[in-house]
Amino acid sequence: MRIACRSFAVAGIMAAAALGLLTTAASATTLNLVVADYGTGPKDTSQIYWQKIADDFHAVNPSITVKVQTINWNDFDTKVQTMVQNRQYPDITEGDYFSNYAQEGLLYKVSDVFTDPSNLMPVFKDLGSYNGVQYGLPFTTSARALFYNKAIFAEAGITNPPKTWEEIQTDAAKIEAKGKIGFGLPLGPEEAQAETLLWFLGNGGAYQDGGKWVIDSPQNVQTLQFMTQLVKAGDTEPNPGTKNRTDLFNEFAQGQIGMMNGEVALLPMITAANVLKPGDLGTTGIAGRTGPIDKTLGVCDFVAAFKTDGTKQVAIKKFLDFAFQDKYQLDFVHMYLELPGTTSAAEALAKTDATLAPFVKALPNAVQYPNDPVWAQVKTQIQQIIGTAIGPDPKPVLTTIQQTALKGS
Amino acid sequence: MSASRLRASSFAPLLWVGPAMALIALVVLWPVVIMIRTAFQHISPDGFILGWAGWRNFRYLFEEPDLYGILIRTVIWVIVVVAATMLISLAMAQLFNQNFPGRRVARWALIAPWAASVMMTSIVFRWALDPNNGVINVFLHDIGWLARFNTDASDWLGSPGTAFAWMMVVAVFVSIPFATYALLAGLQSIPTDIYEAAKVDGAGAWRTYRTITLPLLRPAFVVALLINVINVFNSFPIIWEMTRGGPGHQTSTTTTFMYQLKQSYIGESAAMSVLNFALVMIVVMLYLRATAKRREDI
Repeated sequence: MRIACRSFAVAGIMAAAALGLLTTAASATTLNLVVADYGTGPKDTSQIYWQKIADDFHAVNPSITVKVQTINWNDFDTKVQTMVQNRQYPDITEGDYFSNYAQEGLLYKVSDVFTDPSNLMPVFKDLGSYNGVQYGLPFTTSARALFYNKAIFAEAGITNPPKTWEEIQTDAAKIEAKGKIGFGLPLGPEEAQAETLLWFLGNGGAYQDGGKWVIDSPQNVQTLQFMTQLVKAGDTEPNPGTKNRTDLFNEFAQGQIGMMNGEVALLPMITAANVLKPGDLGTTGIAGRTGPIDKTLGVCDFVAAFKTDGTKQVAIKKFLDFAFQDKYQLDFVHMYLELPGTTSAAEALAKTDATLAPFVKALPNAVQYPNDPVWAQVKTQIQQIIGTAIGPDPKPVLTTIQQTALKGS
Repeated sequence: MSASRLRASSFAPLLWVGPAMALIALVVLWPVVIMIRTAFQHISPDGFILGWAGWRNFRYLFEEPDLYGILIRTVIWVIVVVAATMLISLAMAQLFNQNFPGRRVARWALIAPWAASVMMTSIVFRWALDPNNGVINVFLHDIGWLARFNTDASDWLGSPGTAFAWMMVVAVFVSIPFATYALLAGLQSIPTDIYEAAKVDGAGAWRTYRTITLPLLRPAFVVALLINVINVFNSFPIIWEMTRGGPGHQTSTTTTFMYQLKQSYIGESAAMSVLNFALVMIVVMLYLRATAKRREDI
């Protein structure tokens, strides 16, 4: 019966769309949900995850239809930004959140569209806030660690994973001698800002210090000088500035790379590739110049709700309350091995999953990206040009990025 | 003829060309106006107009340290790709104008690179050039030309020089079909009796080609050349899919650079568009002059 109703509704919507008459009817609301794809192909695309929530939700709230659109991670920021530039706002996004959307007054406050904001992980509250008001709902999180292939390490005669940069270099050289890539260094556009920050942290550097931009600080220059000679020595893949994270993750999963900074999302790729034997994978703290770094990079992807014409607030709130239930949060964790965005789901996970529990415990100490509106431009520029800092003199490249940050949005 | 019928007949043509003119005004002229206006506005990355910027967008554009490299690269890109395309297409057109068994199939096959999505072709080449297991590298390794995978030598798309050369190869590959067909049409329009006369006069093959085929092929050649220049200049998917203009902006042309600027600086990107537009207009003027000349010839 319900199915019949729904197909009538769908037929009706299609007919209306065909006539170019698609307007919000008094009784029915359509929410446009635009999400990033965490999957690696049609089998595990995030479309499946969200469509299930949308269908479950529609069954309970027949007057609200959620239209799910999934976008490849590489294109997510650009496509959402293009929608905003063209004033074709999505109602809800899940993926990167940018405080400039909040600055421009495009977003609902979290308290307007979510019943229990206190359940959202507090450590990511600032990152999702603008001027002290929270606009982004932490949806999924992850913490970084150094992943290494124990089989390759054994073959190269390495007993312990590296703790310092020097050890990274020695170990990578040994692996390189066996015909594999020693250290996977993804400085290509996909997520160069993460890899760069992990290295900066290893030398006491950062993008911002106490709210001030310090991108071209002496420590950061020194860090890139070390990375440059690591690359020049052939201890990484060639030309890291053109290599993306997902491609290198895949090569790691294929047993071609000795070690690289990774996150839990890499685990499903390793399972899918079925090349590494159980027990081959090791994870450890990320190496710094003189020892492992005590903080890791915590990354959080947010849900944000756009005001559009201001008529859908009630429907959005209903949907977000529904979608953030623990069971869906844990479904996501199990589907992609990311970590949850809510405290209740994290607690449930830490109790039941021994593999992920250490990552969950590391989250409260996580270092995060700057939440300044100009970060959107800074990030884009890091992605495009940080690879060119691998060269004789990293300083001018870092200075260019620093100037972009100071210029403002 | 009465006065009213005279008036009606003088308005009649407007009725026919009016819709076309309105369409051109709407989809061609209006965007140009918007583009030029945008180039003088200060716009936030999310598309909010923050006021007029004067010439500031152009100043920022010309202050971009990478711009001059990009301009020079764009010129090289257009000249090399178009020249190679036209030379190869001249030979191909000559070949396809001969009678040989399977000519019909061969002519159909030539359409493939043209019919296939350029983006798809670019992705195929990107994979084929993968430094670790791309099929081209595997082949080079098997014949002993490539000592090791995952080295600078196997990472064609990693360093700007080799990446740019490979992208030119792809650009030539996808441009050849159109140019060949345009030239083939030109060859077929040359009357056969001229060749017979040349034969009677005892002209050799090369002399016939140089003094009869080439001059008579000129109109088709010029049209194919200029359309190619515009296509190659505007080419976006090849560069975007194979290197995204990277590392840095070292394999960008003005077209991809314009797109990259758009994400953060809309006004500056519009200024780059204006510059691109001016360059294309120059080529269009040349095209119009060439076609006007052709009409005089006839």
